[in-house]
Amino acid sequence: MRGIQLQLSQTQKLRLQKALEQLESLSSKVNSDASVTIADSISVNHEDGVLKGHGTADLDGEVVATLCGVVERVNKLVYVRALRSRYKPEVGDIVIGRVIEVAQKRWRLDINYSQNAYLMLSAMNMPDGVQRRRTALDELNMRCIFEEADVICAEVRGFQHDGLHLQARSKKYGKLTTGQLITVHTVFSEETKTTFPSSSTVWAANAVRVLSTLGFVITLEIIQGVIDLSLSVNLDIHDMLGSEFCVLVAENEAERRSSTKKRR
Amino acid sequence: MGSLKRKSPEEETPTPAPTSNIQYDCLHEVSYPHGYVPASSSTTSDSSSQTKEPAKKFPFTLDPFQSQAITCLENSESVMVSAHTSAGKTVVALYAIAMSLRDGQRVIYTSPIKALSNQKYREFKEEFSDVGLMTGDVTIDPNASCLVMTTEIWRSMQYKGSEVTREVAWIIFDEVHYMRDRERGVVWEESIVMSPKNARFVFLSATVPNAKEFADWVAKVHQQPCHIVYTDYRPTPLQHYIFPSGSEGLYLVVDEKGKFREDSFHKALNALVPAADGDRKKDNAKWQKGLVLGKAAEESDIFKMVKMIIQRQYDPVILFSFSKRECEFLAMQMAKMDLNGDTEKDNIEKIFWCAMDMLSDDDKKLPQVSNMLPLLKRGIGVHHSGLLPILKEVIEILFQEGLIKCLFATETFSIGLNMPAKTVVFTNVRKFDGDKFRWLTSGEYIQMSGRAGRRGIDDRGVCILMIDEKMEPSTAKSMVKGAADSLNSAFHLSYNMILNQMRCEDGDPENLLRNSFFQFQADRAIPDLEKQIKAFEEERESIVIEEEDSLKDYYNLLEQLRSLNKDVRDIVLSPRHCLPFLQPGRLVSIQCTSNDEELSPIFIEDQLTWGLIISFERIKGVSEDDANIKPEDASYKVDVLTRCVVRKDKLGKKSYEIVPLKEHGEPIVVSIPISQINTITGLRLYMPKDLLPLEARENTLKKIIETLTRFKEKGLPHLDPEEDMKIQSSSYKKASRRIEALERLFEKHEIAKSPLIKEKLKVFQRKQELTAKIKSIKRTLSSTTTLAFKDELKARKRVLRRLGYATNDNVVDLKGKVACEISSADELTLTELMFNGVFKDIKVEEMISLLSCFVWREKINDAAKPREELDMLYSQLQDTARRVAQLQLECKVQIDVDTFVKSFRPDIMEVVYAWAKGSKFYEIMEITKVFEGSLIRSIRRLEEVLQQLIEAAKSIGETELEAKFEEAVSKIKRDIVFAASLYL
Repeated sequence: MRGIQLQLSQTQKLRLQKALEQLESLSSKVNSDASVTIADSISVNHEDGVLKGHGTADLDGEVVATLCGVVERVNKLVYVRALRSRYKPEVGDIVIGRVIEVAQKRWRLDINYSQNAYLMLSAMNMPDGVQRRRTALDELNMRCIFEEADVICAEVRGFQHDGLHLQARSKKYGKLTTGQLITVHTVFSEETKTTFPSSSTVWAANAVRVLSTLGFVITLEIIQGVIDLSLSVNLDIHDMLGSEFCVLVAENEAERRSSTKKRR
Repeated sequence: MGSLKRKSPEEETPTPAPTSNIQYDCLHEVSYPHGYVPASSSTTSDSSSQTKEPAKKFPFTLDPFQSQAITCLENSESVMVSAHTSAGKTVVALYAIAMSLRDGQRVIYTSPIKALSNQKYREFKEEFSDVGLMTGDVTIDPNASCLVMTTEIWRSMQYKGSEVTREVAWIIFDEVHYMRDRERGVVWEESIVMSPKNARFVFLSATVPNAKEFADWVAKVHQQPCHIVYTDYRPTPLQHYIFPSGSEGLYLVVDEKGKFREDSFHKALNALVPAADGDRKKDNAKWQKGLVLGKAAEESDIFKMVKMIIQRQYDPVILFSFSKRECEFLAMQMAKMDLNGDTEKDNIEKIFWCAMDMLSDDDKKLPQVSNMLPLLKRGIGVHHSGLLPILKEVIEILFQEGLIKCLFATETFSIGLNMPAKTVVFTNVRKFDGDKFRWLTSGEYIQMSGRAGRRGIDDRGVCILMIDEKMEPSTAKSMVKGAADSLNSAFHLSYNMILNQMRCEDGDPENLLRNSFFQFQADRAIPDLEKQIKAFEEERESIVIEEEDSLKDYYNLLEQLRSLNKDVRDIVLSPRHCLPFLQPGRLVSIQCTSNDEELSPIFIEDQLTWGLIISFERIKGVSEDDANIKPEDASYKVDVLTRCVVRKDKLGKKSYEIVPLKEHGEPIVVSIPISQINTITGLRLYMPKDLLPLEARENTLKKIIETLTRFKEKGLPHLDPEEDMKIQSSSYKKASRRIEALERLFEKHEIAKSPLIKEKLKVFQRKQELTAKIKSIKRTLSSTTTLAFKDELKARKRVLRRLGYATNDNVVDLKGKVACEISSADELTLTELMFNGVFKDIKVEEMISLLSCFVWREKINDAAKPREELDMLYSQLQDTARRVAQLQLECKVQIDVDTFVKSFRPDIMEVVYAWAKGSKFYEIMEITKVFEGSLIRSIRRLEEVLQQLIEAAKSIGETELEAKFEEAVSKIKRDIVFAASLYL
């Protein structure tokens, strides 16, 4: 049990344990031998040649892991996906950041990455939608668009020479005004091709909290599931964080995954 | 470069007659998107345009089409300008740039060719100063307000979401008719579809008949009105001449008013026939070795032609041909000619060495450089893609300065910057288009002839077509007088495109397909097709036949018999069997030209006539290795004397129609394919030696008729396939037995005795055909209503999933991210090679050499095999390519595995290896026979691929590999290969 801190009654504990075990049995077969810790050697066929990617190093002719994580192989490339790591942006990711500085022609944002990210004034559409060069006046008015401590949603454009750049290509990006910001660990998130939930309500927020307590991967689909579940059992928002609901979510999730597994 | 200087003030004096003004008026239309309300915009813009000062004033009066287009620009609405190359489209582009600069907006100018971008950059820079340039090779001032770039760069900027995309208000697409290019055309569609929604466009295109369709598409995709300004106007009218090979003179076929002169056209063709007859043997010889040896002994046509042009002061002249070798060969024939005075020679030498100054001393000694100067000094130039880029540019400059009087060029010279001559000559009328030789299309002809006539200098341009092949008069005419090619989509999918679209946050490849011009054109055809079906169905219903069933039976029997007869005929008439019998004077029965093609002849007998064989000739094959084809397999043409009716349709197109002997018509020798012969008789008639006089031919025909009446009772002695022609194939015997059986069945058939059987059968056949037509239209209809390319997209996505480039949820994976970056080479094969670690263990030079296979596409026949290490790498590449292709095939992507594998050519591996090792350029040119320019282009492209690979390696965190690619770039990027353009 991954250090879940909940106050559970005896029956709840048993139910949770059972649900988690079921979940584990579903996923265990996939890559049990692929997990490595630091300095574990990774078995490779040297005759074919290997490409060493992230988290690997060469030690006396042997490929060893430099991270704790899961070994991934793509053709001959071997790399280790770390179990715990800071978020590393990839081109096309949608991120949420908090403005920490309004600088010349750009906003500096904290996106929980090792560097701050930049959103250029020219990397977002003007409020009036006109295509034109940005003028000095626009620069002076930057605070009218975003100011310090605003929470902004944008897309990762890529690394330029001076740092990580973001862009806001369409109208759906921009300032997030309602709802609350919850910071979740990267490990729980998974790459999907979904649009960002624009209606961040307390429901969703609490749902995310529940999931992260349980250590589940967070996707839009699952959040939606949790919200539906809470509505179906007619639960008060405040009770969502209670132990009974957590157990319920875990059981539900175990059932969902086993059913999808069977379908395949 | 000086393209504006043609607008000298003199030309503005109203020299043209008032009638011409009416003729040259432009057409102006607007496409509105569905549900658009134009009223408000027109009123507001009117008032605003009055208040605003024009962004740019030109020192000359604008042509109507120019001012029309500029009005649209001032109303800030998109415009498509379709006009001839020389008409002055640049004015519109210049105004758009000036306007954007005035309003503090960014403007992008894209062109299809790097060289053109360079030239335009220089032109705009002189005019506006706030101009930047981005091509694959160079980047200058990328923050400028006006950016000149190639269309490919603009596309990738949009994929990457460059900030330019949010600041650009006007996008100018020059030469947008390039969209029909088979390979690169799709880039235009992607760029236009993905362009920012609030941007406005300026499309500059050659004359295209379906400009309206294009504008409709833009209006629909971007939900904004798009104007069309179309004009046929040529500032200098053209005269078209024909020069039949071997003849002495020119024949004016189209005068400056655009009138086709039928009489002189026929004179020209008549002048050709005897020449072509006598020339045939020589012609063949020329094909084989003529290109090397040249016909130095006699004055070649081309020499005569140039001499005549100089005498008549029709120079400067551009002579177009369609291959690099031919271009050089023709220029060599001018060896005896000197067109320049001493001062001009000095100037040329000065300019030449000034330009060559940037080369190293070794490179200055390159044969191509040193051989070129003497030629140039005599006022003769060569311009094709095989030249060193720097030489090409020097020649362009010299030509613009008027120091080159006679330029041999390939088609590439006809695109882009204004470099007109007084005269344009087409040295050939056929062009190799990758698969086969074909006639020039009228569109290509228009594009190239657009180089004739310098505005303000010449009062007319001259266009000369050299005809040396047997050319149908109709073909010639449609080429010279035909309409421009229409702008059709050449859309196709690529993995790189799909991956990039998938990676775009809201991008869906299907969106692109739905908005493509291809889909638009397909959708547009639907109502038409439906109407057709309806009409056909009505017609079918109206046909009522009695006793339809038994008629059907009978009809089927006839059909069977016909197909069997055809089989037999095919066997008998196969070149292997019949060639020995095609002697001159042989009497044969041939099929008449059927004038209503819709009713295929069931009754062959009705349409037979007779003729005498004069000779037969092999049709020139597609490729040069024609000689390897056995005589049996080649196709032949038979010249037959028979009676024909010569017809002219509305366009003056001449067509020969073979008619029965007793009808009215002229006795004429026509060429027919063997298949048009019905039977070969056992008779040969005496034939006069000279068939040129009409009487001789008429008499021969009379003789035929006489013979026919003589044999009327007995029937003509046909050649018996088995006894005379010694055909012993089993299929022949089988077919002839079945024919006998069928014939017996006929006798039993009741309906055959019906008096009106023929008419009935014709009606029935018509009905059958209608049914078939409806069926086929329905099939096309159903394929267009579904999204075009949808199946292919599915298949390609499957490939990406199978190879691990994307997940089931269409999320781009690690390998996909690599493939996303590679757009200048085959992305799948290259990515696989990379992930298989091939690049890891080999030396940098070997890697460069291996990568050269990805960029070299030309075929060299006797290229030396690369050394062993390189050959091993090459076979590794082939294995990977084969695997990739095989997997694509399994995923139902249509691909020919072998062609795909062979598309990676090892021909320049050795050369590139040497270059990477640090050899001098003249050294590597010694080990290969390829053109300097082609090699340089390939190495530049290779550098482009390497840059993309650096990005790719970076994105997967392979620092070692990244460093290796960086090293590779530094190894090849030096000296003449990467010498900067003179235009910069």
